[in-house]
Amino acid sequence: MTALYLRDRWFEDLPVGEFHVFGSHTFSELEIVEFAESFDPRPQSIDPEEARGNHRQGLIASPWLVTATWMRKMVDYMEVYAQGVNDGRRNGAGVAITNLQWLEPVRPGHTLTYTYEIIDKPDRVIREKWGLIRSRNEAFNQYGNKVMQFEIDILAERCPA
Amino acid sequence: MPLTSELITLDKAAIVAFASQFDPQPYHLDNEAAEQSIFGGLCASGWHIAALATRLVSETLIESGLPFVEMVSVGHLKWTRPTFVDEQISVRVTLTDILHESPIAETYVQAFDVEVCNGDGAVVAVMGASAAIAQDSAGAATS
Repeated sequence: MTALYLRDRWFEDLPVGEFHVFGSHTFSELEIVEFAESFDPRPQSIDPEEARGNHRQGLIASPWLVTATWMRKMVDYMEVYAQGVNDGRRNGAGVAITNLQWLEPVRPGHTLTYTYEIIDKPDRVIREKWGLIRSRNEAFNQYGNKVMQFEIDILAERCPA
Repeated sequence: MPLTSELITLDKAAIVAFASQFDPQPYHLDNEAAEQSIFGGLCASGWHIAALATRLVSETLIESGLPFVEMVSVGHLKWTRPTFVDEQISVRVTLTDILHESPIAETYVQAFDVEVCNGDGAVVAVMGASAAIAQDSAGAATS
């Protein structure tokens, strides 16, 4: 029962203050370039040579690669420590984000550690079934500097009882 | 008068490619699972929409003479409806405040509101954001 606790929780069971470290990711030059080419083709994220002379003086990751990697780390973390994404309860989707800031550039070889903390459970019932879990999410680089932060509201299924 | 971008079509391959790498949840990967999900059909990751909207915003600002350098912050972003397979998105950008202090050298910060619309003109996401703009644009920082 204890071992399964994280796997079997409703909205009501998720406490404000709960904190998780989703894990770390090291960004390669190739993934920075490939993400930019596919989704956000800014020159400072595509061409390492040209990027040397730009505003950032070298190749940097698209801000959205930094944030999309948060999503991937969260999904992977849930697969290991919770029921996983096939559990409808944990599959309610994000609704909105606030205060997203990219504070420092992320460059090839940088390693970010992603953290998550439940900060609020707004008093709302959505479509008679879902509650909102508001979390503060942060990413820190290998120097311990915060490079990204945001808050997100994610739907969690309320206990039907 | 908002600035308007071109349209991008999200086909299934594009939706699944993004989701496989960054948001591998059933409603972004598998038709059947998606039909049973909260969305009712296979749809794009919200982060995919955010990245593509940023691309459209950058292209739109550059075409309007504002040399977009980099996104700085997103004060708020709300996903209001899913974007399903083969739907299109475009952005409508309304410029708001100018901030002279920027975290990036030789830039200033332009704030703006964005509506991300599908091919029918329905809003799929709204965003208030700011981006660094190169100062070498003629007089843009004081406009």
